[in-house]
Amino acid sequence: MRVLDKPLVVSGELAWLGGDRLERRVESPTKEVSTIADGEVTQEREGKKPRSFSLKRAPQLQVLLDSFVALLAGDPSRLGQSFDVTLGRDADRWRLTLTPRDARIAKQIAGIHVYGTGQLARCMRMDESDGDTSIDLLGDLAAKMPAEPTREGLIAQCGGAM
Amino acid sequence: MRGARLGLLVAWIAVLALLGVLVATQLKVGTDLRSFMPAPTTPDQKLLMEQVGEGPGSRLLLVAIDGGDDAAKASLSRGLAQALRKDPAFTQVVNGDFDVGMLDSALLPYRYLLSPTLDTESFDEAYLADQLQQRLDDLGSPAATLLKGLLPRDPTLETLKLAERWTPVRSPEIREGVWFSSRGEALLLAQTRGAGFDPGAQEQAIGQLRAAFAALPGSGGSHLTITGPGYFTVMVNAQTRDEADWIGRISTIGFIVLMLAAYRSVSSLLLGALPVATGGLAGIAMLTVCFPEVHGITLAFGFTLLGVAQEYPIRLLSHRREGESAVASVRGLWPLLLTAIASACIAYLAFYASGVGGLKQLAVFTITGLLAAGFSTRYALPYLLPEHARDVAGMPGLAAFRTWLDALPRPRWLPIPIAAAVVAMIAFAPGPFWQNDLSALTPLPRDLLMTDARLRGELGAPDVRYLLVVQAKTADAVLTASAKLEPRLREQVVAKALDGFELPSIYLPDLATQRARQAKLPDRPTLDAALTAALRGLPFRKDLFAPFVDDVETARTAPLLTPEMFARSPLGQRLAAMLSARGDHWVGLSTLSGVHDAAAVAAAVASADPSARLLDLKEASESLVAAYRTRILHAVLAATLLLFVTITLALRSFRRAWHVLAPMTLATFLVLAVERMAGIPVSLFHLVALILAAGLGLHYALFFERDTGDPAEQRRTLHATVVCVIAALLVFGMLAWSSIPVLRAIGLTVALGVGFHFCLSILMAPHARQDRLH
Repeated sequence: MRVLDKPLVVSGELAWLGGDRLERRVESPTKEVSTIADGEVTQEREGKKPRSFSLKRAPQLQVLLDSFVALLAGDPSRLGQSFDVTLGRDADRWRLTLTPRDARIAKQIAGIHVYGTGQLARCMRMDESDGDTSIDLLGDLAAKMPAEPTREGLIAQCGGAM
Repeated sequence: MRGARLGLLVAWIAVLALLGVLVATQLKVGTDLRSFMPAPTTPDQKLLMEQVGEGPGSRLLLVAIDGGDDAAKASLSRGLAQALRKDPAFTQVVNGDFDVGMLDSALLPYRYLLSPTLDTESFDEAYLADQLQQRLDDLGSPAATLLKGLLPRDPTLETLKLAERWTPVRSPEIREGVWFSSRGEALLLAQTRGAGFDPGAQEQAIGQLRAAFAALPGSGGSHLTITGPGYFTVMVNAQTRDEADWIGRISTIGFIVLMLAAYRSVSSLLLGALPVATGGLAGIAMLTVCFPEVHGITLAFGFTLLGVAQEYPIRLLSHRREGESAVASVRGLWPLLLTAIASACIAYLAFYASGVGGLKQLAVFTITGLLAAGFSTRYALPYLLPEHARDVAGMPGLAAFRTWLDALPRPRWLPIPIAAAVVAMIAFAPGPFWQNDLSALTPLPRDLLMTDARLRGELGAPDVRYLLVVQAKTADAVLTASAKLEPRLREQVVAKALDGFELPSIYLPDLATQRARQAKLPDRPTLDAALTAALRGLPFRKDLFAPFVDDVETARTAPLLTPEMFARSPLGQRLAAMLSARGDHWVGLSTLSGVHDAAAVAAAVASADPSARLLDLKEASESLVAAYRTRILHAVLAATLLLFVTITLALRSFRRAWHVLAPMTLATFLVLAVERMAGIPVSLFHLVALILAAGLGLHYALFFERDTGDPAEQRRTLHATVVCVIAALLVFGMLAWSSIPVLRAIGLTVALGVGFHFCLSILMAPHARQDRLH
């Protein structure tokens, strides 16, 4: 992120609760549970009052939700509704590039890259239009998070899954 | 002779035209309904009158957008809000759309003086470190995109705290970023600049709102619902005008037919209209001379009341006989006619004594009009009428009708059972006697009120009944008192006595509070040092927070924010609606929503600060109406006494005065009793109408009582009275069908009154016995 000197690392679990509902459970650095359900994002932190806001105020999250749910549900038509989808293959490994169709969203999200092997998605990278990048290392790749990660290193690690 | 007559006619019409020009150039018609309300006496009543129309609650328009999918409705809501925010006719538009730009960038540094953060915290190392750690967590959370942009300038998120503070406590569900009702309509609240009870301003604002909506792309398939006091004002105005128009048209046609049937002469019809036209124009001319502005209702009611004057030419026309000139006829009629004119003027004097601006105008108008119509009937009309006229005494059927009437039993004890029945009916009538609720006279269709209640509930829009009032010498003192109220009201919300509240101090803290917060802001070197220390170990870029440091420095040295400075921002308008100067003091008016326990809230408010109190607008308006009624009743009583004296003097006999006044009094109470039996509570307008009916009834009784031994003359009297009664029944009977409660009250009361007065003045007239003696 541009506002930070070094990448911000957060680890935890991401769970699909069915429908348009996702739960994001963060273990470190601070315990936090975020739920996306019914168009609302609710954040709960230890010792704090829950905070919630509309999904519409965070189009980036809507995109993330759409791509996640479509991927997890294995619903290519839904992916196609929101994104231009291109698929690159190299033997067992694959790369899915999603570009938002909606111009308003494209102003914030340049694209999403999902890397995987066989049936498994292993890493997800979202490039924001302001130059910030967020990377989700999924599954066993999450365990390979270096102690002192760098932006370039992480991008390579994510793309290296291909 | 013919030439002189033509000359007179031309001169008369010229005078009318002159009056017409005077009226057309000088008349200023006002629309403020308050001039038709009683003069306030207590402080609560004064506030109520200021509130009616001008308070923040009465200037709110509630808007619902329906049709199409949620996204379409939301984008319409956003587009409409954007358009209206630029429109000077609106001071505030909210639709749930989150708007960080509520404080414009020039005022943005003031967030440190506006937000309560510094009351409990200070920008030292520990606080900043904790805040920055939280922001870092935020960046790793789903809220990141939302906060990323704010971070450099506002790491403690004061803008969000203020936005939260300024968002209504109870707000509707947010879908697609804007408010939605449970029925799936996009909701929007717009506050107009114009007063709620100013139909002109409201009509313009609503027109602009509709035009802005129609101009939005995709609005064709959607439906706009508007409600709120301002919308009601416009509706009532249009409805009243429409109804008055069609009722007026039908009455006019009926009247023309009646006159033609009664006198079979077009020239009589046209000439007979001249005195009333003279009366009307003279009345308006007098108003323009006496008052700077004439109320629209005065004119509408005034012309209704002036209908009595049509009786004067009718009397003259009916009492003409073969071979007698009109001048001779009017001379014979004049003493009685003069008594009738004088007594009607006395009855209308009661309006003048009521002390209400609009009713005073009404009195001036009708009294001038009656005198002008009466005197022109005496001194001008007879010279215009043709030499020869048909004697109506010879009209077929009239003699038979008279004989039938004479044959009716007229027991002398008749007043006793009628009086007993009246007393019984009034005593046992269902429901409350008086109608104290001003809003009961609101002629709004029920479903419109239901829509209003539903949207008001959904939007958490303020309760129109209660108002929080703070009065103090200065604006700042109002803000200080308002700040003291805040914790007390919060307790009330927790205790469920109240759903939500607005206070001026929520938007702008008083100067002392601002000064204290300003004093807690660190200077630049201190803040730099604290920030550097707090950033240790955090991954934020070192120079990232320079805008924050700049803003704190600006806020530390800036002059304190006053309502005048704040007024330039969009939020300042919201404050201006709540805080205003009244003469030598300032008044803070805040709205409450969902008042469940008014007594508890009132006690909490009163204990917080002596300058604050809870105003119950309903109670204030009811006490106002009750006081108003007492005044009118006193005026009516005085007018009645005067009438007795006048009639007795004019007739020079107690016995004859009794024959005139007894049926009139009895009929008046009979109307009251019948309306009460029908379950109608008596309102001010009923009282006004009773006075009018009594004036008409007095005429009937006066003419029936007239002691002439001539059966032909009696038939002429009957003819004139029947024409008058039918004319009055026509005009007021039509009004009784109106859907507007005020018009219905007047129409029904006068129509019933005319009927009762006619019957009783015949049954209680002394003629019958004398007729039989002849």
